[in-house]
Amino acid sequence: MRIRDTLVWAAIIAAFGTVLAPAAPISAEPAHAERTVGKTAREVDRRLASELHKNTADLAPAAADATWLRRVWLDTVGDIPSPEHATAFVLDPDPKKRERVLAELVANPQFGHNWARYFRDVVLYRRVEERAVLAADSVTAWLTEEINEGSGWDKVARDFITCTGDVRENGATAIVFAQDGRTEETTAEIARIFLGIQIQCAQCHDHPYDRWSREDFHELAAFFPRTTLRQVVSATKRSFEVGFNDNPRIRGKGDNANRTGAPEHYMPDLDDPQAPGTRMQPKFFLTGTELDFGTSDAARRGTAAELITKSPWFAKAMVNRMWAELVGEGFYEPVDDIGPDREASAPETIDYLAEQFAANDYDLKWLVQVIASTDAYGRESRPRRLPDDVPFTANVVQPLRADQLFNSLLSALSISETDRVPFDFKNEAAKAYGARITPRLIFNAAFGYDPSEPRESVSGSIPQALALMNTPQLNVAMSAGSRLRTTALGKMIASIDDDEQLVTELYLKTLSREPSDSELADALAYGESVGDRSEAAEDLLWALINSSEFSHRR
Amino acid sequence: MFSLQHHIRVKTNRERVTARRDFLKAVSVAAVAGGAVSWTDRISAAASEMRSNGKACILLWMAGGPSQFETFSPLAGHANGGATKAITTSVPGIEIADNFPSMAKMMDDVAIVRSITSKEGSHPRASFYMHHGYLPMGGVKFPTLGANVAHQIGDAACELPSYVRIGGRGQNSGDGGFLGVDYDPLILANADRPPQNTRPMSTDDRYARRLNLLRGLETDFGRSEGSDVVSDHRKLVDSAAEMILSPKMEAFDLDREKTNVRDAYGRSQFGSSCLLARRLIENGVTFVEINVGGWDTHQDNFTKVKELAGQIDSPMAQLITDLKSRGMLDDTLVVWMGEFGRTPKINPRGGRDHFPKVFNVALAGGGVKGGQVIGRTSPDGSEVADRPVQPKDLFQTVYTTLGINPNHENMSLVGRPIRLVDEGSVVTELLG
Repeated sequence: MRIRDTLVWAAIIAAFGTVLAPAAPISAEPAHAERTVGKTAREVDRRLASELHKNTADLAPAAADATWLRRVWLDTVGDIPSPEHATAFVLDPDPKKRERVLAELVANPQFGHNWARYFRDVVLYRRVEERAVLAADSVTAWLTEEINEGSGWDKVARDFITCTGDVRENGATAIVFAQDGRTEETTAEIARIFLGIQIQCAQCHDHPYDRWSREDFHELAAFFPRTTLRQVVSATKRSFEVGFNDNPRIRGKGDNANRTGAPEHYMPDLDDPQAPGTRMQPKFFLTGTELDFGTSDAARRGTAAELITKSPWFAKAMVNRMWAELVGEGFYEPVDDIGPDREASAPETIDYLAEQFAANDYDLKWLVQVIASTDAYGRESRPRRLPDDVPFTANVVQPLRADQLFNSLLSALSISETDRVPFDFKNEAAKAYGARITPRLIFNAAFGYDPSEPRESVSGSIPQALALMNTPQLNVAMSAGSRLRTTALGKMIASIDDDEQLVTELYLKTLSREPSDSELADALAYGESVGDRSEAAEDLLWALINSSEFSHRR
Repeated sequence: MFSLQHHIRVKTNRERVTARRDFLKAVSVAAVAGGAVSWTDRISAAASEMRSNGKACILLWMAGGPSQFETFSPLAGHANGGATKAITTSVPGIEIADNFPSMAKMMDDVAIVRSITSKEGSHPRASFYMHHGYLPMGGVKFPTLGANVAHQIGDAACELPSYVRIGGRGQNSGDGGFLGVDYDPLILANADRPPQNTRPMSTDDRYARRLNLLRGLETDFGRSEGSDVVSDHRKLVDSAAEMILSPKMEAFDLDREKTNVRDAYGRSQFGSSCLLARRLIENGVTFVEINVGGWDTHQDNFTKVKELAGQIDSPMAQLITDLKSRGMLDDTLVVWMGEFGRTPKINPRGGRDHFPKVFNVALAGGGVKGGQVIGRTSPDGSEVADRPVQPKDLFQTVYTTLGINPNHENMSLVGRPIRLVDEGSVVTELLG
């Protein structure tokens, strides 16, 4: 620690007490939940050790407090800790401080926001209907509420699968809307997201390596043919509505391509595309459970929702995805292609964690707490391993998702989202469909990526680098400002006389850690060479914001 | 970063070049001192410079799978041909669909392959296949066609990225893969708008100073934990900085073209994209990919393809004409293709569905012998009757045309050698 005046920091700790998360209520989690978190995390580590880590020399050391804190903030609330939080945490002597902070962070409302945005991206990046961006707000708002209230992931899945209503009012319609209400596409997405099974490969042909046949896929699709999607005709708003068609007099097409709902689903005849194809009875490929022809939409989708959420693959798919996000690599990769024909890197570990997730009511907060409490999560990061290396010996540096980066910029530059936010990227696509254009949405369009893609395939781009380096308004926010328009940096320069403290503060503000001795020396030497204190501070802030450490979580 | 130190070949605007040299000197001295340039970076930069052969490629990618019958393989006189008529072209005996009157006049320079055949009928897999020459395989990050071409013959001395992709949200179009971020495409959403944020917000001196500061920052993080991301990030920042300080940025500004040139290409997104492609190639870019979506015509195939063809026919013909009149056509290969074709039978919705078994590709320039049709289908269009061409044969041919050895082996990240194309043979009839 390079803290000259420990009294100052003692005062800060006194002021903040032990409440380290923004506006976090003191955790009301029952002691029981806390105990199962710790117990489950230890059992996960024990199983990993016996399945993979017989040689402990491979394991990366535990991450330092500052690294761990920034990591866990980004993974829970999707933001970076302030300098005050970072410093107080590092100085806090409580041996249980990590557990405590974690519990506070998952109880923070930003936790719901962060993961709601993540799942919004999971759903919308695979949209076949561009206008599905209209549901971006509603799906985020709905998921935020569900997650913060502690709804089980099974409830969320059931709502997604059985949804009806206006896409701008009911966020649960987002999957059906994103797939344009089409039977086969909706079926494939639901299987991919909730079961981690890519059964759509069997849509056209029997897959040579998978056990699922074309019939299996189309029998699953037969739960969804009656679902409808229609445009809401209104002078005041553009929207769509998900509904159903149980009226036998309105006979839609066998493949529901016109989205008006069909009484039954037909599997196309590949040799004769003009033929109506084979009428398929709803049947769940994992259990063989069937429904009769003529069953109503509500009963079909309700049954499908029950069957899917009761399947062991349901818990496993979610555990695998969340583990991959937090530890940097899934037990199965890609995260949404698991299933009985794939091999997990540590099968007993994921089985155990999936069972416990189900036993704990599919509680997302619980799951994040457990994973973030494991040693596997808490280790230092290393570059992504090669296929022959042992998995989970270290955490992995991850590129921030667009929302995390956006939040981090706002925090590092002390800008509020409701202020004039310094981004001016165009997004004509979204505009054309009448979606509400916010700076965050525009930023996401420029920096977002599909979170289901293997993370190593996500790379930065020249336009992104240019945006962070040269966006004019962002440069104003990174400047010392003027007498008329002050900035956070301007205030810092004015209030901190000591150069060493100024450099330290800038590091804390952006990277949530203090500079190393050599970084400090370099920064001070740079200041000397520039001569102008204010200019040097601007340059340092600019460089820190443009560093890869800022746009990644280590 | 190391294209930064390369000799700069710029004929115009002496003042800016001088300023640029100073700038580069300032950056690179510190970079070398800081150990930012690895030995392999230098070697690979030097190697690609040696390989550069002045060839280039423009890929016109028809996302969704264009109907062969409504484009370059009309089936007039058979029920499967539908309402589409065949028209004669400048080459006696070759007929194409009436949706392409301008291209019909260009036939002397165009070769059509009517017998491409594959098994991949789903968009993601087929699009991956026709972009990479490989099917997706877990564990291997195959580079896409444009990345391989940029890697093999890209001009490392050019400050613009070697590989530019214009428009569209192409599915599985791919990127640099195991070749790394240096070969990722620069993606432009809109040809009429130059890349944004390309003006540094400080003086050149201060910008160079800032970049040096940035480079020195990440030595700790880049040593172990984030060595991969720091190294990729540096390359990006360097290429970005290099690009925007280059006078060649003017290539992105279509307003520098005369009105009659812009009109000849047409004031449409595709017209602008074709014109931009030509300007970029002229300025040293090696591979330009233009995405045109909407070809997945399961319904109303005939109306939709007519409309799409109306957008692309004239600009595509103008692109070939313009390249030719500038003496660039012999070195610039233009490839028109999508991920698969459409079913011969017309479905009840007036559409055609996915059909990888027989589809077509059109090529022009780059030494391809125009005025010919390769391959023939059965009269109903459902089978290849003569000269089947696999996607891998096509990739062999494209690489060969560009002066690239298709058997070249790259070392993938897992230490496994990967050939540019692992099977197939060159369609020799296509080469002049």
